[in-house]
Amino acid sequence: MSRKGLQEFEIDTKPSKKTSKQKFNDFFYNEDTGAILGRTPQSWAKILVFYTIFYAALIALFSICMVTFMQQFINPRVPRLQQDYGLIGTSPGLGFRPLPEDVRSTLIYYKGTGYDSYKYWENQLIDFLSVYKKKGQTAGAGQNIFNCDFRNPPPHGKVCDVDIRGWEPCIDENHFSFHKSSPCIFLKLNKIYGWRPEFYNDTANLPEAMPVDLQTHIRNITAFNRDYANMVWVSCHGETPADKENIGPVRYLPYPGFPGYFYPYENAEGYLSPLVAVHLERPRTGIVINIECRAWARNIKYDRRERLGVVHFELMIE
Amino acid sequence: MLYHGRSDSYRVATIGPVKDDNRTADGVFKTRRKPPAKKRKPGDLDDLKQELDIDFHKVTPEELYQRFQTHPENGLSHAKAKENLERDGPNALTPPKQTPEWVKFCKNLFGGFALLLWIGAILCFIAYGIQASTVEEPADDNLYLGIVLAAVVIVTGIFSYYQESKSSKIMESFKNMVPQFATVIREGEKLTLRAEDLVLGDIVEVKFGDRIPADIRIVESRGFKVDNSSLTGESEPQSRGADFTNENPLETKNLAFFSTNAVEGTAKGIVICCGDNTVMGRIAGLASGLDTGETPIAKEIHHFIHLITGVAVFLGVTFFLIAFILGYHWLDAVIFLIGIIVANVPEGLLATVTVCLTLTAKRMASKNCLVKNLEAVETLGSTSTICSDKTGTLTQNRMTVAHMWFDNQIIEADTTEDQSGVQYDRTSPGFKALAKIATLCNRAEFKGGQDGVPILKKEVAGDASEAALLKCMELALGDVLSIRKRNKKVCEIPFNSTNKYQVSIHESDDPSDPRHLLVMKGAPERILERCSTIFIGGKEKVLDEEMKEAFNNAYLELGGLGERVLGFCDLQLPSDKYPIGYKFNTDDPNFPQENLRFVGLMSMIDPPRAAVPDAVAKCRSAGIKVIMVTGDHPITAKAIAKSVGIISEGNETVEDIAARLNIPVSEVNPREAKAAVVHGTELRDIGSDQLDEILKYHTEIVFARTSPQQKLIIVEGCQRLGAIVAVTGDGVNDSPALKKADIGVAMGIAGSDVSKQAADMILLDDNFASIVTGVEEGRLIFDNLKKSIAYTLTSNIPEISPFLAFILCDIPLPLGTVTILCIDLGTDMVPAISLAYEEAESDIMKRRPRNPFTDKLVNERLISMAYGQIGMIQAAAGFFVYFVIMAENGFLPTYLFGIRKQWDSKAINDLTDSYGQEWTYRDRKALEFTCHTAFFVSIVVVQWADLIICKTRRNSIVHQGMRNWALNFGIIFETALAAFLSYTPGMDKGLRMYPLKFVWWLPAIPFMLSIFIYDEIRRFYLRRNPGGWLEQETYY
Repeated sequence: MSRKGLQEFEIDTKPSKKTSKQKFNDFFYNEDTGAILGRTPQSWAKILVFYTIFYAALIALFSICMVTFMQQFINPRVPRLQQDYGLIGTSPGLGFRPLPEDVRSTLIYYKGTGYDSYKYWENQLIDFLSVYKKKGQTAGAGQNIFNCDFRNPPPHGKVCDVDIRGWEPCIDENHFSFHKSSPCIFLKLNKIYGWRPEFYNDTANLPEAMPVDLQTHIRNITAFNRDYANMVWVSCHGETPADKENIGPVRYLPYPGFPGYFYPYENAEGYLSPLVAVHLERPRTGIVINIECRAWARNIKYDRRERLGVVHFELMIE
Repeated sequence: MLYHGRSDSYRVATIGPVKDDNRTADGVFKTRRKPPAKKRKPGDLDDLKQELDIDFHKVTPEELYQRFQTHPENGLSHAKAKENLERDGPNALTPPKQTPEWVKFCKNLFGGFALLLWIGAILCFIAYGIQASTVEEPADDNLYLGIVLAAVVIVTGIFSYYQESKSSKIMESFKNMVPQFATVIREGEKLTLRAEDLVLGDIVEVKFGDRIPADIRIVESRGFKVDNSSLTGESEPQSRGADFTNENPLETKNLAFFSTNAVEGTAKGIVICCGDNTVMGRIAGLASGLDTGETPIAKEIHHFIHLITGVAVFLGVTFFLIAFILGYHWLDAVIFLIGIIVANVPEGLLATVTVCLTLTAKRMASKNCLVKNLEAVETLGSTSTICSDKTGTLTQNRMTVAHMWFDNQIIEADTTEDQSGVQYDRTSPGFKALAKIATLCNRAEFKGGQDGVPILKKEVAGDASEAALLKCMELALGDVLSIRKRNKKVCEIPFNSTNKYQVSIHESDDPSDPRHLLVMKGAPERILERCSTIFIGGKEKVLDEEMKEAFNNAYLELGGLGERVLGFCDLQLPSDKYPIGYKFNTDDPNFPQENLRFVGLMSMIDPPRAAVPDAVAKCRSAGIKVIMVTGDHPITAKAIAKSVGIISEGNETVEDIAARLNIPVSEVNPREAKAAVVHGTELRDIGSDQLDEILKYHTEIVFARTSPQQKLIIVEGCQRLGAIVAVTGDGVNDSPALKKADIGVAMGIAGSDVSKQAADMILLDDNFASIVTGVEEGRLIFDNLKKSIAYTLTSNIPEISPFLAFILCDIPLPLGTVTILCIDLGTDMVPAISLAYEEAESDIMKRRPRNPFTDKLVNERLISMAYGQIGMIQAAAGFFVYFVIMAENGFLPTYLFGIRKQWDSKAINDLTDSYGQEWTYRDRKALEFTCHTAFFVSIVVVQWADLIICKTRRNSIVHQGMRNWALNFGIIFETALAAFLSYTPGMDKGLRMYPLKFVWWLPAIPFMLSIFIYDEIRRFYLRRNPGGWLEQETYY
């Protein structure tokens, strides 16, 4: 470095002091430089063009990655990661209907007498069951229906019919029995692509935890027809001893389980989950009843704390 | 007590071309303060900054006795003493209000950056509180986040509290200097009192070895000498007597000052000032009372906090309004607002900055720069002006013979520390004669027990100039002690201030020669007066006018070099008149002291340290102005300044120009002179405007004969101009300036305790060259902190954007709080710290100091780069991984929009995906947390590239290389940590981190590469078009 350069020691002097009000005004419009919001229009234009190009390039990159991925790896009909390969696993949970208005709540609450009071729940169920009712009219659904039987599982691409008449008296004409303070709750088993249940169909080896009435039912129905045992069984009960008492008698319509021929679910057009209508015939009114319904199959894990293999809801009728 | 490691008594005999030598009659230099004609400003400190203005030294003792109602023999009455004590308080230094330890701790805990984190933590708790009061089972995220934030602040607070050993012990170190007891005469009785109990008007007696118990006016003295080193920094003992010799109270001989040492003789005096009013009290008050202000790095961090909070609040409020418009409940919107603000807080940065500074502090300590205050680590890097003391910092603090004049020629002696300099002929008769005088007419001796020590480093008992001669002779002749033994001293008249010479008579070492040898040394012109012949080329010649001219030229030349010159002469006494055994009488000299034989001159200086000229040159090439501020004479100061390069070759002062052009000084345009030597007396007459002019228009400035107050004024002047000022100094008198400076640098070996306490940094080897190291390290850490912050801030965008998408697009949360913390306090920490080890990109010592007003640590461009560009690419990488995992599991991207409510509801146990599958709450949360983990991992992957691009701000990585092994380790560490967090069994329960399939590490790679490529291209254009638009917008 030349010595000349070394000899200059201008000290950087403080910028002229401005009042904060002036600074504030200058920020919006600086008369000296013509800057608006700290930049001149030209400077704004340049930086905006720069960032526009930058983000356009970034979006393009993102889109290329996304499109490549979607086209190369994703099949719109078949999930890429199934059962244990993905996170959905091989142990389906249960769902119930009707759902309360608040998504965070599981309380079914109504005043037993007036239509206004249970109208919401009834509408929810009508809504939910409408696909089951007018399946004939839904495009594509109708042709796919196969008359399934325990001995006649549907071929690939065909779906089984769900018979809504089996739910009597849990039908909309009957207000799903809500008006009689004996509401029907519909249960369904979560669909997992390709999942096949392993049934409890050996009457000699039923699990001890299974409620006695379900065990009796299984024994009876297998005595009638062995094939009928190939079901994912369902049972509902009160959670606490008090709830158990308050829940009263429970009827499962059409059967206390989901027929095995509905599985595996393979995202076929028009597939409808089998449903079980749980008819609570004489639940105690004026008190909250905690109800837990459990699905029974050898490959459905159960853990009450983790809410595995069960569904929980509360019922309160006033 | 006598020697404080400084012995620059070389001013003693320097007479000659010194314009204003300010010496008293005996050659001892006077103290150098004069009250400046400054207008008084309100306030105690301003008052202290004024120089002393008293008349106690001017009035007659009788008037003083009357004023204090005291009596020279009997002293004060007990009653009066008691009254005075009650009126004025004890004679002690008042300690300033001590900051209690807990307050200091709290400052560490709540200061600056920590405050930001605290606000974040409190906001988290508020958010949690709102959630807890509205929802049955609130998410714990905000609670955890709050706790973690608080923990981070507390841990770093404790850490920096321990690091910062800087405590205001200034007053305590002053207290160590304060005398304990004093001998007082009251009501005619001699009493020994505690020094605190002294009052105005007390008659005190002091003797050698005592400390002066208060400021006293001397009324009687016998050979009394004081060591004013603690006041002036110069340890030359000065004689004190009853005579009023100078208007300036600090230079007059009849005042002695509180806490200075009496080194010889005894004296009696009247107490005229006590405690805080004493000269020392005022310095102590200044040093402990001065407000140091914020360090530059603290200012930068404040600026950074402003920026960050600005961005945080802007984002927060924007999205609060958007959330409101989208129809969220206002409480939810408030929680979002808080969440966004908190997400902007870089949790790990406080710790990163602290660790980076600590690492640099350690590195500097290993290079002899001990940093007392962590924040001061960077300050030297920002320094634009260094005000350096001369003695001991620039010089060796050791008088050394620099030149000799004999045989009518000037010979240069070796002044280097390691004797690597020039050699001279030691065989000529002229040198031999001179050496004999210098050896014999010398009372200095080496102290015992220093056998292994190099001669120049040996400690010497005796006066500094004599010590210099002794060492020079020891080097030239060998064993001085035996030479002295062989030439037995028979008589001696020691140096005194009236004769200004020293003479001794010795027996000859030649047994055949019965003649005595008389040797004399002293002030050259006095010696010359006594000579009639001169010894040249081995022959004795008559000292004619021609020879006197030659002598004068040599004397002027040596004096002009700022050196202290001594003259030497001798005489062989005729043996018939003075036979062996002759009784020489020193009181009434019975031997010739006229018509002697002149032999030569020797001149001494405290030579500059070897490394200093180089260091000064480095400072100057680094754009740092080096100003010398010294208590020494202008002539000596200028000579040293020239020899170390503070005044560079060819640069003239106003006086030089005047001399060259042969015009009066007043006709020279001061702007033409680049250099300036400003005398303390001039300084006290000028206002701050004129001082500013001097500081502004001269690039090379030497301030000579300055008082502590003036040092302070100079520092303030520089700061007023906007400079960041470093001050080096070692004496008590430097302490106010050290304290006021942006960074005070004290000397570790020679420095007084007080100066070390007032300083922010200590040079363990007392070497000015170590400052250059400090500057270099400071600049490097500033650059590297920028990089570190750029790196850390970048990941803020991929951390915030998931939350924004969560609010705006109603998608399941792509990145959770826990994973954000894992990045900020886990994977990002080591790489960010490793950037502190990054090598400089270019020669940082070749550029100017940063402009503290425009060159910020964190500026808009850095935020724009980190947030607007790199951060966005990183966010894109994260979202890509998120969509990939969701799609592979069944939730196609478009399907995700709008399902947030059902997704997050525990009540929904059968959420349908794009393939009609139904997900329980538990399963889809597992999916969500897997996405969090993958998003986290992809941030780690893109941060690899970010780390590498942050290594350089302008250069290509190809140029910079990957030699920073700490950084390479950082990359491996963050990857290993990410893998550990993802794959360790049990993490799904503990941190909700799920094991990832290997392929899920890959989607981020195209984005990582594009970060790398984008920034390489950007920097390529930066280098191609320096100063171009891209540089203005993206060079941080």
